[in-house]
Amino acid sequence: MNRIILFGGKGGVGKTTCSASYALSCAKAGKKTLIVSTDPAHSTADIFGKSIGEEIIKLEENLYALEINSEMESKKYMNKVKGDLKNVLSPIIVKEINKQIDAAAISPGTEEAALFDKMVEIIIEKYDAFEKIVFDTAPTGHTVRLLSLPHLLGAWLDTLIEKRVKALGLMQMANNAGKKNKEEIMNDPVIKILSGRLDKINKVKDIIMDKEKVSFAFVLNAEKLPIEETKKAIKLLEEYKINVGYIVVNRILPDSIESDFWNNKKQLESKYLQEIFDTFKNKKIILIPMLNSDMGPNNISEIAKYW
Amino acid sequence: MDKEKFKEILENFKLFFQGALDFNRKSRSILEKEAHNEMDNFILLCFADMLGLPIPTTYYTLEILPYIAEDLEDWQRRMMDRKSIWGERWGDFDLDA
Repeated sequence: MNRIILFGGKGGVGKTTCSASYALSCAKAGKKTLIVSTDPAHSTADIFGKSIGEEIIKLEENLYALEINSEMESKKYMNKVKGDLKNVLSPIIVKEINKQIDAAAISPGTEEAALFDKMVEIIIEKYDAFEKIVFDTAPTGHTVRLLSLPHLLGAWLDTLIEKRVKALGLMQMANNAGKKNKEEIMNDPVIKILSGRLDKINKVKDIIMDKEKVSFAFVLNAEKLPIEETKKAIKLLEEYKINVGYIVVNRILPDSIESDFWNNKKQLESKYLQEIFDTFKNKKIILIPMLNSDMGPNNISEIAKYW
Repeated sequence: MDKEKFKEILENFKLFFQGALDFNRKSRSILEKEAHNEMDNFILLCFADMLGLPIPTTYYTLEILPYIAEDLEDWQRRMMDRKSIWGERWGDFDLDA
C-alpha cells in the first residue's frame, strides 16, 4: 500500500477500528508507522487503551500516534498572530484588532481550517520520517471538503498574490515616476506570507494527488446507505484527483448462525456484498469480520490479521 | 529694460511649458488612485467578513492582519461610504462636481 493512507466513510462504520488495526499490522510488519486521528471525537486512544495527545507518542514498537486538537491548533495560530501584531503595530490599534481576531476564533470554519493546516504540516514534515502515515478522518462530508481545500485555496491564493503585486507595483509607479522595483515587491511581508502558504499548499497537492504516495481507503458496512454514500464520495474524490484504492467492508457477520433473525441479516449481507464487489470492482476490497466483543487494546490485533 | 522684459517673457515661456507639459502630476494622481483601488480590492478579498460578507478563508488571512491593520480602519470607512460607482468614475475625470 501507499505511504499515506486516509481512512474515511460514513459515521459509525468503524473507521477508527479499521485504521487502528491497519496501522498495527503495518507496525508488526516492521514499518515505522504513524497513526493520526483527525476526527474531533477522538477514539483512537480508546482502542489502544493509552491516552494520546497532540504530541507524537510511541504506542509500541514501530507504532506512533497523534491526535490533532484543532481547537488548540487554532488558538496557537491566533496567539502567534497576536504576537506579530504587538511587534508591528501601535498598542491602540492592537487592542482594536485583537477584537477582530477573537471574533474570527469563533466563526464557523475556523477549526476546520486549523485541522487542515495541521494535516498539511504533518504530511509535509513527517513524510520522510515515517514509512507509513495513517489518517483516521472524520465522517465523509467533512473529509471530502477537507481534501478539496487545496484546490480552492490554491486558486484563491494565486488571485490574492496577483492583486497585491499589482497594487504594490502601481503604488511604486506613482511614487517613482512610473518605475517599478520588482525586488521590493517580492520582499513585501504580505506577499511573503501568501506565497509561503501557496508553496505549502502546492506541495501537499502534489503529494495527495500522487497515486503512488497517497491512497484513500473507504470503510463501509454491507448495508444499503453506506454503499450509496461511498459511491457518491468516491465520485467526488476522483473529481479532485484523489486516488481511492481500497474498499474496506467492516463487520461481516460470521458464517455459523442459528437464529432466523441473523440468518435473514446474513442473506441481505451477501446480497449487498455482491453489490459491493460489482460496483467497486477496480478497487481492492478487504473484508473484516464482526467480533463478539467491543474493540479495545486486547482484541485489536485480532483484526490486524485481516490486512 | 529690454533685457529685463526679455527675461520676463522667457521666464513666463518656461513656466507655461512646464505647466503645459507636466504630465507627471496628473498621471501620478491617476496612478495613486488606481493603486489605492487595487489595495482596497485586495483588502476586500482578505477581510470581507469585517463588512459582514462571510468568506471561508478568514482564518488564513489573519496572518497578514498585522501588516494590513493600519489601513483597515480607513478601508472600512471607504467601503461603507461607497454609494455610487458612477460618482466614483466621474470623479476620475473631474465630472462629479
